[in-house]
Amino acid sequence: MSNLLHFSEHALQEVALILMATVYFLRIRWFMKWPLGKERQPATGLGDTNPKKGARYSLANIAMPWAMESTRSKPFMYAQFVVFHLGVVAAITLSFIIPYGPGLLKSSSLVALIQGLTGTACIVGFMRIIRRISNPYIRAISSPDDHFSLILLTSWFAFAFLAAPNDISGGEGFMLTYFLLTAFFLMYVPFSKISHYLYYPFTRTYLGRSFGRRGVFPIRRKPAYQRSI
Amino acid sequence: MNTEKNKRSYKAQKVIDRMGQKLTRQMVGSLTACVHCGMCTDSCHYVLANPGDPTFAPAYKADKIRKLFKQHYDWTGKVFPKWVKAGSVYTDEELQELKDIVFGKCTNCRRCTVNCPMGVDLATFNRMARGLLCHVGIMPEGVEYVAKEQWEIGNQMGVLKEDYIETVEWQEEELQSEMEDPTAKIPIDKPDSNIVYVINPREIKHDPRSILDAAKIFYAAGEDYTMPSEGWDMTNFGLFNGDDELGGAVAGRVYDKVEELRGKKLVISECGHGYRSTRCEGPNWAKKDITFDAESSVITMLEYIKQGKIKVDKTKNPGSYTFHDSCNNARSCGLTEEPRELLSLVVEDFREMYPNRAENYCCTGGGGAMSMAEYRPSRLKSAKIKADQLAATGTKTVVTSCHNCVDGLTDLIGHYKLGMDVTQLVNLVANALVIDDIVEENKKKYAEKEEVSSGSAQ
Ligand code: SF4
Ligand code: SF4
Repeated sequence: MSNLLHFSEHALQEVALILMATVYFLRIRWFMKWPLGKERQPATGLGDTNPKKGARYSLANIAMPWAMESTRSKPFMYAQFVVFHLGVVAAITLSFIIPYGPGLLKSSSLVALIQGLTGTACIVGFMRIIRRISNPYIRAISSPDDHFSLILLTSWFAFAFLAAPNDISGGEGFMLTYFLLTAFFLMYVPFSKISHYLYYPFTRTYLGRSFGRRGVFPIRRKPAYQRSI
Repeated sequence: MNTEKNKRSYKAQKVIDRMGQKLTRQMVGSLTACVHCGMCTDSCHYVLANPGDPTFAPAYKADKIRKLFKQHYDWTGKVFPKWVKAGSVYTDEELQELKDIVFGKCTNCRRCTVNCPMGVDLATFNRMARGLLCHVGIMPEGVEYVAKEQWEIGNQMGVLKEDYIETVEWQEEELQSEMEDPTAKIPIDKPDSNIVYVINPREIKHDPRSILDAAKIFYAAGEDYTMPSEGWDMTNFGLFNGDDELGGAVAGRVYDKVEELRGKKLVISECGHGYRSTRCEGPNWAKKDITFDAESSVITMLEYIKQGKIKVDKTKNPGSYTFHDSCNNARSCGLTEEPRELLSLVVEDFREMYPNRAENYCCTGGGGAMSMAEYRPSRLKSAKIKADQLAATGTKTVVTSCHNCVDGLTDLIGHYKLGMDVTQLVNLVANALVIDDIVEENKKKYAEKEEVSSGSAQ
């Protein structure tokens, strides 16, 4: 292994991780400085829900495609979302396995799993790029950051797919690119929309607490009363 | 020195400065978390009614507000403005354009909110943006007019106290005649009552029948209630124009009056935004914890039937009915089941509309849209979605628990020639009341009294 690859796998990743954590810390600190809107009203609704239940439902929404009309009516989009995010988990996990637990990759099934996830995520990434460019609604709301983040992730998936076997016998090119991209990704994420997951627990909890207090979450689609009178 | 501030109009600078004072953490979360995934796009009735036009998409509209936040309050926008589509406003014309979006292209219905995987609540920061513009006098004329009436006269239709009392007294006479009881009352300012009943000024101006219907129900239930002579308007234009001070003042008037009268419970007549404002948002705006119970009259009527205080006969309401959920009731207050339960008790043929409850489409008159004449054509165009929903039920009458929705639905039903009627639960419950025995008894009682008094006169 060349010094450059060793540096990219270790020192560079560590620096990138520290930078990411620092910016995340600053972001959260900035976010928490905004005053929290207080809700004083007594609860509304049938009384079978509350802020905690609403928040739990709201946070779990993402794993309940039936809960929202937008995901219920677009199962293919939802499947893409799942694959894409599993790809992120796989590609990140790989960046820790290669330097700190390379022995794990002797398991061909683990390599196949990582390649399966990053490979399909890469395909989804391509589909999303096409959608972002060709769908007039998505194009109209897209920023340069949206386009760049998507291209960055899609390329990263491709190189994660190639790096997964951890085999440099044919050259270090793929491996080096994968680690350089990972480091760049870690440093870029806190400044980009990819950091949305940082806000997700907050936005969903706040909405869920408010809607739980008001009896809106969990959303009802069936009668909650008996026509008995 | 040609600084950034110098390039900006006075009003534009005010809008930007005030934004910083109005942002809450919940709003900042919504302004930061959008990933531009587009999942909310076709949850909006404006989008569905204007296919191919992305400027109606919730995220597109949100970005017109978000860009200001990014440019002035989020450091990613300060460092890389173009990269994250941050931007500012410089001229009054740009503020006018923003006005056409926040007032004219969104009814704050929150349908996109419940469909956003990230929990972005556009309606809340759209309301904030409305408030920023109103603060510098940029708003639709109707909004300005109504807000002024509510600030100055105390209700949003400019009803004078004497007109209010006269109308209530007129309905009292009607009640006496319908119930054959010359002593029947619609009490005003009666202290220590069980219920303080507040209404929408539309009931005084255009729909006094609703006051009579409510009075009949209270009479039949033997309720100890009163209507207040002031602080009787439960509607609140502060919800629509984003002015928390107005919202707090209007809700505060109602709360103060209930406390002054030592009422045990505040009952709010059927109105989506009125219920949301008085029951939910009012304490936040007025910064006051309310010390009495408060509920929608829908719940009161339902309880009367359940407790046997009134009897109803659903055969008195023949025909087919569907129910339209007001956005404010359903998506902001969770009032979805009680109106259905009540409706099923007073009509024989109730057919559900789809989608419904918190997924229902706006009547398109929400968010104060009925007072913005300049946007009527685009409002009615967007109403096609609601019109299709109504037509698909195959019913003759749509029931709703909101005066605003009554107007919105009536307008679109006329425009799309659906030939349907619009009514409220209070009208159906009053019509279904089994009161013949009470009326007969009253007839006898007062006939006897008359005989006695004419006998003693002889
Ligand atoms: S508001 Fe929500 S659903 Fe709409 S584009 Fe943004 S993140 Fe996606
Ligand atoms: S709040 Fe309603 S009208 Fe406004 S953008 Fe969202 S769905 Fe459309």
